[in-house]
Amino acid sequence: MAKTYDYLFKLLLIGDSGVGKTCVLFRFSEDAFNSTFISTIGIDFKIRTIELEGKKIKLQIWDTAGQERFRTITTAYYRGAMGIMLVYDITNDKSFENIKNWIRNIEEHASSDVEKMILGNKCDMNDRRQVSKDKGEQLAISFGVKFMETSAKASINVEEAFLTLARDIKAKMDRKLDATGQNNKNQGQQLKKSDGKKRSGWKCQIL
Amino acid sequence: MGELGVQTRSTMDSWVCPNDRQLALRARLNAGWSVHTSEMKSFNRRESLSQDEQEQIVRVMKRAELLDGAEQERIGRLVERLDNMKKNCIGNGTSQCVLCGDHFGLMSASSTHCEDCKKACCMKCTVDINPIHSPKMQRKAMVLCKICSEDRELWKRSGAWFFKGLPKYTIPKSRGDTKYTGSSAITGLGAGRSKPEVLRRAGKPVQQRQYNTWSRANKNNYGDSSDSNSSSEEESEDDDDISIGRSKHNVTSLDSEVDSMSVNSANNNLYCAASQSSITGAAQLSATESSRGSLHGDSDSEISTQGFSRNSSLRSQNPAHSRTNTGDDIDSAFNQYGVNEDTPPSSPDSDSGSSLGTLEFSILYDAVNNALKINIARGRGLKAMDSNGLSDPYVKVHLLPGASKANKRRTKTIPKTLSPEWNETLVYHGITEDDMSRKALRLAVLDEDAFGSDFIGETQVQLKKLKAQQTKSFNVFLEKQSPMERDDDLISHERGKILIALKYSTHKQALHVSIIRCAELASMDSNGYSDPYVKVYLKPDKDKKSKHKTAVKKKTLNPEFNEEFVYEIKHNELAKKTLEVTVWDHDLGKANDYIGGLLLGIQSKGKCLKHWFEALKYPDKEHQKWHNLTLDQPRIDH
Repeated sequence: MAKTYDYLFKLLLIGDSGVGKTCVLFRFSEDAFNSTFISTIGIDFKIRTIELEGKKIKLQIWDTAGQERFRTITTAYYRGAMGIMLVYDITNDKSFENIKNWIRNIEEHASSDVEKMILGNKCDMNDRRQVSKDKGEQLAISFGVKFMETSAKASINVEEAFLTLARDIKAKMDRKLDATGQNNKNQGQQLKKSDGKKRSGWKCQIL
Repeated sequence: MGELGVQTRSTMDSWVCPNDRQLALRARLNAGWSVHTSEMKSFNRRESLSQDEQEQIVRVMKRAELLDGAEQERIGRLVERLDNMKKNCIGNGTSQCVLCGDHFGLMSASSTHCEDCKKACCMKCTVDINPIHSPKMQRKAMVLCKICSEDRELWKRSGAWFFKGLPKYTIPKSRGDTKYTGSSAITGLGAGRSKPEVLRRAGKPVQQRQYNTWSRANKNNYGDSSDSNSSSEEESEDDDDISIGRSKHNVTSLDSEVDSMSVNSANNNLYCAASQSSITGAAQLSATESSRGSLHGDSDSEISTQGFSRNSSLRSQNPAHSRTNTGDDIDSAFNQYGVNEDTPPSSPDSDSGSSLGTLEFSILYDAVNNALKINIARGRGLKAMDSNGLSDPYVKVHLLPGASKANKRRTKTIPKTLSPEWNETLVYHGITEDDMSRKALRLAVLDEDAFGSDFIGETQVQLKKLKAQQTKSFNVFLEKQSPMERDDDLISHERGKILIALKYSTHKQALHVSIIRCAELASMDSNGYSDPYVKVYLKPDKDKKSKHKTAVKKKTLNPEFNEEFVYEIKHNELAKKTLEVTVWDHDLGKANDYIGGLLLGIQSKGKCLKHWFEALKYPDKEHQKWHNLTLDQPRIDH
């Protein structure tokens, strides 16, 4: 059976045109890199199954076009996403400034529970850097999301970034469902436990 | 484009009063209190998309649709499983176990309460949701009945936890009762097709059902209300519901899913032939329908008018047909033909084999808890053994080699049927990786008679084919009794296994010994079973104060004790002691039989030593381990 996975997580990549969303995804799904720039048309997706804490998780990762003219199509996919990667290009200040707008976009269109993460891509090109790592971290902190600098070309942190996002989603899921069963009953039970135990321990002495 | 988009399109140049959420967001972003929408870039569709671009997008959507179809069926199977479990509940939840209907009482099963539904159930029908290291007694407080735990799992697996309601899913219908709905659906469409194969194909798969709330208990909203329901659903359906109007691209492979898809590619083509004509119908229909306010319904967007349109309107009229264009429903396809991709070897001689019937089951090896779980779903077309033309079938499962009472499990008997629905889960505890690599499972279907039973057919599964933590489903033809029958020689020296938990509590200065369960004990009584109990002894001990024993479990070779004994003892003294654990068969009127035992202490060896050592080295933590019982070793000086 091919379809043996436990969970399906839908992720989304957004960010300005040319920051490398498609390359990041290509690196993650195929572990390959292509330096020619082919603008994504509208939307695309790739699939990869990963394993976390013994669970098989199928990631369906939607890649979106950064270009304005596809915005109508791409925003339609926000609502179904459980996790969103915001990607900017560290050699392009404008793409970094635009992260704010993308966040705003998410808040308008995505589910409020969505897990977010900011990626500063192309970190192999340090000589042309326009956005310091500090600035990226500051921004991420101000929005309360995780941050990583990645390079699809040099294969830095790409895997880690997706795994982190998936892990956060899974943690949120586990928290949500397991929390429903947890209540204060727990404590009352614990008290009972200790005296009940003593008795069972001593009862056997008679024999 | 969400809510805002819909508003603006109707009043294109007017100012829009933002909703509360947007107000809150804008306050944070210092972006002013309202916007003129024509100035917002995202609302300008100055550049329309070219033909090629549209086709490209449609292709991607088609691909996504295939995937979603598979996902919907996967969820459908999960839902069906849960429903079946619910249907099989026979208890009242107060004096009986809500699942298996066992009466509670002094002599019988002890009751516990499910954390979610608060109903009473027996230990057998519950799942522990405590973290492994928590102490034994608390365990009792934190259990879920199997249904509620399955329910939670369904919420996780389906993504319902995120979307706050179960997404769309399709229940693969069982064969037999589908034909009627299928054909009527097609004639209803007015798309006449004469090929019977196509007919069958298109009519086969589905039934659309939805639940939207957690407490959906027994309500079955069969498709009919799907339209109103689905409008409240999440936007994720955007990529579910789009039927492709003119795209002929038949995507047969999904990335990294190629294995599954290619198996079915032949079927898929046939399938698409069927769905294409239905799609034409859909396109016509929905051309006049105004679809719900989302991107694709947006009538001035070029893509939607030409490329694709929602077929929700079609679906609501015609639920049985709605998911025919999803592709990748290998499972149901295989089910339909009674063949399973996993077990091709059994199908070739199907002429003789099919007369015995088929068996559907799934196996899961839980490596963490060393449990092998076999879910016996159903049998189909079993051979009739009784004079009334029916059988009273049940399934007997054996772990090979070493067929004995101890490793036998059986389902309930379903009277007078050739298509029994068992939906029972049989569990083997204490199955190690080593067992998995060398043992096999034999599933035999038998017909119960007043005296004895008749053999119908059997099948075998090599456990090494299974992967840990992955449920593997089978649907196989039964075969005649395999020639290499039983090899009982192996079992003779095996006395059984025991699961023990040790924990040294530094706070109380006490050693907690939990006797959790035994498995595959040797049988001592003439009925083939034993009446086991466990004695625990911390030695050396002059006045025998440390001698404890568990309750006697009647007539079982796989008893569950869940008893804890506490020894108040200082940590440094403990190092000099040895814990003797012995398992006995209780006999009335004569001396109890010794089944087996083991020693945990500094002089013991191998696994036992390791267990003892870890318990001492890492106090305040529970250490659980399975041990093999031996006949001779612990019987030392008393």
